[in-house]
Amino acid sequence: MEERKALVIGIDGVPFTLVKEYVEKGYMPNLKSILDQGFRLWQMDASLPDISSVSWTTFLTGVNPAEHGIYGFIHLDPRDYSLRFPNSGNVLAPTFFQILGLDPGGKDSSLARKYLPRFKEPRSSIVINVPHTYPAYPMKGVLISGFVALDMARAVYPPVLVSTLKRMNYVIDVDPSKGHRDRDGFLEDLFQALDTRKEAFDLFFQGKWDLFVACITETDRLHHFFFDAALDQDHAYHNDFVDFYRKLDSLIGHLYDVFRSRWGDEGLFMILSDHGFTRLKREVNVNRALEEAGLLKLRKDGERYQRMAPGTKAFALDPCRIHLHMKDRYPLGEVEEGDGESILRDLESIMGDLKDEEGNPVIRSMYRRDEIYQGPFMDDAPHLLCLPVDGYDLKGRVGTDSIFASSVFAGMHNQHDAMLLLPGNKDFSGKPHIGQLAGLLLDYFCGEDH
Amino acid sequence: MDHLDQLESKSIYIIREAYYRFKDMAMLWSVGKDSTTLLWLCRKAFFGKIPFPIIHIDTGYKFPEMYAFRDRLAKEWGLNLIVGRNEEKIKEGMGPFKGSKLECCNELKTNALKQVIARYGLKAILLGIRRDEHGIRAKERYFSPRDTQFKWNYEDQPAEIWDQYKSKVEEEEHFRIHPLLHFTELDVWEYVRRENIPIVELYFTRDGKRFRSIGCVPCCSPIESNASTVDEIIEELKISKTPERAGRAQDKEDTYTMQKLRALGYM
Repeated sequence: MEERKALVIGIDGVPFTLVKEYVEKGYMPNLKSILDQGFRLWQMDASLPDISSVSWTTFLTGVNPAEHGIYGFIHLDPRDYSLRFPNSGNVLAPTFFQILGLDPGGKDSSLARKYLPRFKEPRSSIVINVPHTYPAYPMKGVLISGFVALDMARAVYPPVLVSTLKRMNYVIDVDPSKGHRDRDGFLEDLFQALDTRKEAFDLFFQGKWDLFVACITETDRLHHFFFDAALDQDHAYHNDFVDFYRKLDSLIGHLYDVFRSRWGDEGLFMILSDHGFTRLKREVNVNRALEEAGLLKLRKDGERYQRMAPGTKAFALDPCRIHLHMKDRYPLGEVEEGDGESILRDLESIMGDLKDEEGNPVIRSMYRRDEIYQGPFMDDAPHLLCLPVDGYDLKGRVGTDSIFASSVFAGMHNQHDAMLLLPGNKDFSGKPHIGQLAGLLLDYFCGEDH
Repeated sequence: MDHLDQLESKSIYIIREAYYRFKDMAMLWSVGKDSTTLLWLCRKAFFGKIPFPIIHIDTGYKFPEMYAFRDRLAKEWGLNLIVGRNEEKIKEGMGPFKGSKLECCNELKTNALKQVIARYGLKAILLGIRRDEHGIRAKERYFSPRDTQFKWNYEDQPAEIWDQYKSKVEEEEHFRIHPLLHFTELDVWEYVRRENIPIVELYFTRDGKRFRSIGCVPCCSPIESNASTVDEIIEELKISKTPERAGRAQDKEDTYTMQKLRALGYM
């Protein structure tokens, strides 16, 4: 068997445009040096919606949400309107590292059917800190779950490694609530977390593996709280922001050098982010817009979606997954199959016409479920998915007083500005999409990458 | 004495010991398989005639099959059945769709039981909980004191060695007694099979699904299963890796996840 090795670095929420600018400004010399060695930086589309759990799952499985089953951090239980929080157990398609390990964990997907027959020997992977892999599950190699991982004991496979990680004070995630009450302390935590990530990467790098996936999530946390400091040189935290990127750049350079020194020029090196980031101007409460249009009716009592009253035709889940309140799916649902089309048209016109207080449009594009999703788990898909103009953070809160609100956050996700770094000989027919990368990796491992 | 005999005799010993110490005692019957097994053991302990009342807390949201089963057995076995309902809250429309599920459970189950305990001046309640049901239940004692607010101080409990049970604690309002604590889920089913104990039909498959744990309709989900007899359930449990209460709402992890997500602006 020809020895093939791949190192994938995930950097959560790092935008293509910012990286490009920081490389040009000289803040990321290691990345510049990698680019100078024949790599290319791409602007990439994230999943729809551009939420970490959906995007990373799309990356790991190489299939769309209707095939892997994850549409967001939150799922509404259609039986009683309560919230459910999907985890790795709800991912219904195998990941590329399960396919490489020749053990899809009893799961099936179009990608698995295509690639499983092409591998004869199982290959092992080390996968560290990728969001939405909790609880960790048996696989060939090592899996250390990322956000939202609740209990270290269930976040590590094989479990024997828990004590090793505890001894090195490995943190699964910084405490994001600290960003609201102690900004300096939160920044300190982010820098420290990067150190423990490096320590963990180094430790497992020495082992035996074919594929190594090292994910850094602190970038996303930094952006949520400090993205306004990214390019504003007068911002009190600008230097800290740039310093964080310098530290990130040196970690990338370090991993690249170790990879090259161990495997020469043969191995495949890739960096990707799961979505872009942009400055946040206004929060937009989509459910309030639906309420004002008479499509959502709320009772005074109850919590969140359990406040929905008879007469509700549509509601939104974070960030802007609009579901029709179908009669055959929800206890209080009234929308008949035949009425869906006209309500969808109403929704498209309500959302398309949505403008902020200064008359600026809010919605950049809208998709119906059939346009973007395909697979066995279509029933859970939103009927309409909206993407905002950069700056308008769409929210699924229930029972707010106004459509527009200011935010305590400085940055928000976007779908169109994720980043990808690959060897220059890899090409795409158009703009790359995060869902294409699993196939690209599997092609590499079965020697069909030329 | 085989394994099931040992389990049975330990349970019967605890039931008799409890009745000897507390005359103002009752048994809580949820109509599920565990408390129905406990009911069976109580009948055995007192040769067919249970000398204390049996309480069923009715939230109004139980499966119709459970009500029918309860009434049939109460009649056949001559039970002194007390049905406890928090009438005030039921009239106000409390339910899983109003407020949180936690609030609903608190009003329609916990407070309904508090009302029954106060009305009948009960000093001890027999319950059919088992240690293997949930992590926290592993810490339970056979005789477990509770204060007036039902608070359980699991870090400060009397030791229970050599079958010596402490049943007098200052200021405590009542005791919870758990004669089934040492049974596992599989033990219960094997005992049900041996004794031919009647069980609600919800536990058996219908259209490829059955309930492994039953309670209120909105908060229980069936599992995929083709087990239509006790034998088949036992075979299924021997290979299952899913926890018994997986079909119940998993409130604790959800609360923590929600806090994390909210700190990042979701919801």
